[in-house]
Amino acid sequence: MAQSNSNEPIIVCRDVNKWFGNFHVLKDINVEIYPQEVVVIIGPSGSGKSTFIRCINRLEEHQEGQIIVDGIELSHDVRNIAAIRSEIGMVFQQFNLFPHLTVLHNISLAPRYVRRQPRRDAEQYALQLLDRVGIPEQARKYPGQLSGGQQQRVAIARALAMQPKIMLFDEPTSALDPEMIKEVLDVMKELAQSGMTMLVVTHEMGFAREVADRIVFFDEGRIVEVGTPEHFFTAPQHDRTKLFLSQIL
Amino acid sequence: MRGEYHSSDHYVAPPEPPTSRRPPVATVGPLGWVRANLFSSPINSIATIVMAIILGGLLWLALDWSIRSAQWGVVFNNLRLITSGLYTRSEIWRVELIGALLVMLTGLSLGIWGYVSRGVFLTVAVSLAVILGVLLIGARIGEPTLYMLAEPERTPASLVFLGTQGDEVSFEIEPLTDLEAINARPLGYIENQSRTDWSTRAREARDGTLDLGAYNLHLTAALFRPDGSPVTRDGAPVRIAATPDDAGSTQTVELPRTGWYKLEVVRDDEANDENAGYAWVKVRGVELLPSQSELLAAREVEYGPRPTAARALLAEEAAYRYEGTRTFAEFISLQVAPFLSTIALEAVVGTALFLNGWVIGILGRRERRVRRTTLAAWVLSVPVILLLLGGIEGSRALPAVPSIQWGGLLLTMLLTVVGIAASFPLGVALALGRRSDLPVIKLVCTLFIETIRGVPLITILFMAKLIVPFFWVGLSDLDMTVRMMIGVTLFSAAYLAENVRGGLQIIPHGQIEAARALGMNPLLMTTLIVLPQALRAVIPAIVGQFISLFKDTSLVAVVGLFELVGIVDIIVSGQPIYRPYQREAYIFIALIYFVISYAMSDVSRRLEASGAGSVHARR
Ligand SMILES: Nc1ncnc2c1ncn2[C@@H]1O[C@H](COP(=O)(O)OP(=O)(O)O)[C@@H](O)[C@H]1O
Ligand SMILES: [Mg+2]
Repeated sequence: MAQSNSNEPIIVCRDVNKWFGNFHVLKDINVEIYPQEVVVIIGPSGSGKSTFIRCINRLEEHQEGQIIVDGIELSHDVRNIAAIRSEIGMVFQQFNLFPHLTVLHNISLAPRYVRRQPRRDAEQYALQLLDRVGIPEQARKYPGQLSGGQQQRVAIARALAMQPKIMLFDEPTSALDPEMIKEVLDVMKELAQSGMTMLVVTHEMGFAREVADRIVFFDEGRIVEVGTPEHFFTAPQHDRTKLFLSQIL
Repeated sequence: MRGEYHSSDHYVAPPEPPTSRRPPVATVGPLGWVRANLFSSPINSIATIVMAIILGGLLWLALDWSIRSAQWGVVFNNLRLITSGLYTRSEIWRVELIGALLVMLTGLSLGIWGYVSRGVFLTVAVSLAVILGVLLIGARIGEPTLYMLAEPERTPASLVFLGTQGDEVSFEIEPLTDLEAINARPLGYIENQSRTDWSTRAREARDGTLDLGAYNLHLTAALFRPDGSPVTRDGAPVRIAATPDDAGSTQTVELPRTGWYKLEVVRDDEANDENAGYAWVKVRGVELLPSQSELLAAREVEYGPRPTAARALLAEEAAYRYEGTRTFAEFISLQVAPFLSTIALEAVVGTALFLNGWVIGILGRRERRVRRTTLAAWVLSVPVILLLLGGIEGSRALPAVPSIQWGGLLLTMLLTVVGIAASFPLGVALALGRRSDLPVIKLVCTLFIETIRGVPLITILFMAKLIVPFFWVGLSDLDMTVRMMIGVTLFSAAYLAENVRGGLQIIPHGQIEAARALGMNPLLMTTLIVLPQALRAVIPAIVGQFISLFKDTSLVAVVGLFELVGIVDIIVSGQPIYRPYQREAYIFIALIYFVISYAMSDVSRRLEASGAGSVHARR
């Protein structure tokens, strides 16, 4: 998963600032993410991690600075937003599957209606994806009939169905019972090995250490420290990072 | 804390778990249910018993009344008015055709998409069997006795009736020579004038102003054919010649052929110039004809003109009134059988069409073409039905029937279906509009919803009638029925919008974010993600709204349209004989409302239960 062939970053953030009302939630965020890179974002609760990755697919709007995804700058232009969203898959903490649709339809819905793929092709690909995330037998069930781990794997398959270039994960295992966390992390590892560009907010330090190319540490709305896992876990520089690591390790 | 631990504090379960056993008998099955629910505590037991007594009593009263004394003729003789109002008589086949079309389409759709439980089939089969069975039984039960009073002034008199070949008709003369005889209440149909006379005479006899003992009647009662020739038995004319001393015996005759007959009762003034006294002329085996003039006319066409005679009295329903309490057998033959005989043909044809459609649906459910055709047929049926109902101005095959003539159940269903079909999309649009980000749209929708909700439906209907054409002259030509449809639709849409909005509010924000993250535009998000979940969550409220719309259509009576409830006024104003029986008519109409409303809420319950994908199934 080394930084490969391309030297062009796929995501560029320059001096990104965002406020919720008067509350300055993102402060001068500067970061570049390269194709096929796995970047793990860690940091205390409320530090703005979710807000940051939600800005990247424009679920939140930033007010200052630039975010450029795959060469397209995020702006108010609706066409840009649609183009960018179809290149970015997102997995949420609460799964957010569509409860009124079967697993198969959850996955094939967006390809059929957003990408206008024929139903048969979309469903065939959906079945392949279900196979890939390890639950091919659940295609006809409704989300409410699955365990949390299975639901999150369906959510990953649903995001992959749009064949995105980038995947965003916002604490994908935080709502899961302990015995289900591993099955989801395994899917994510497999995805990382396949060369997907991934931006992962997580508290799973084992995953970060093993899979991440770089780790970004957030605190109070700013990036405090960025580094490779070895650097980050063995020789953190900033006091805030040291304190955080001492609390969780 | 608690001191030392001992080996008894240590527990290890045996290696094999115990085998599962069945629960105790008294807690499962019907018995268990009764115990747990009806007799769980002394108070519950008392409540159960008291309620059972009250409900049982009420049910008994209702059954007792409807079997022994209610006169359901107002219903079964006016079924056409009740179902289609004043729709042109000769064009009624159009309504029937529409009914047939809808029944068949329903069968087809159920065959394709639905599931018809065995219970439904059983119910239909049993109902059909009952209809046909009762008709057979009812035909065998004899008609009740007809009573006419023979008395000095109005005799001679003749009873004209329609007989069927092989019918057994009998008649007798029963002199009223003492108080006991005149006080005995007759049991059967009493001719209206006779009834008044009889009760007057009985009162006079009790007062002592009338001496019944001075009975001195010479009467002859004889049966004639329309051409004036006497009906004979073994070669001799069938007649009774009653003298004051000998009232003669009961005469019974099997009618030689189907057609009109005349029973003539003559006072024999030659034998006796001081005729006095009163006697019942009792006739058995004669069926009363419905009094509607068009039906009578039809009979004259079929059986020739009816015989005329001095003081001829036709054996028709309007001239008689049932007296006394009916037996159950009489209830079946007088009330149930005629009702069923008016609907038997329709029931059989309807069932056949339904089954036909259903079988086609079952066979073709896998064929895309069949499904497409069925959907297209439903869509097409709307203009076809409207065209059939309204007709074409100046056309000979399909003459126009002004919508003011549409009435009864037809109008009720039309208003309901149009109201539902139009208010549903409008209500959804209003609900979405009220949640819109655009302030102008939001304001307009909110204003509309709140205005309509702040005004009673009857006011809206009056406005549709009076004020709208005042504002815009172009609308004054608009058909009253269409105006009512619009009024009902707007009213229902406002309430529906609020129900749908309730559903929209419970959709978690995560659903919308997930849809946006997948690149869906607002239209896709609304139609694929938000509405399906929101609507499903508020199915009960929406169906409740539709049921109240169905019942509220009765208010169009205020603008002079006669739907199901208003039609009763038409019935009794056109036919005063039914004036005393409005109660029966309203009860029947209440039953129709109940059955349809119940069916609607049953469908809603099924919809709710179907599919695991409801919002409530989320973990
Ligand atoms: N929609 C919002 N409106 C106002 N404040 C918000 C909103 N979303 C998040 N916040 C605030 O912004 C801060 C950062 O939130 P978030 O990005 O969710 O943090 P994290 O994901 O790191 O826990 C928190 O203090 C949170 O309360
Ligand atoms: Mg977060």
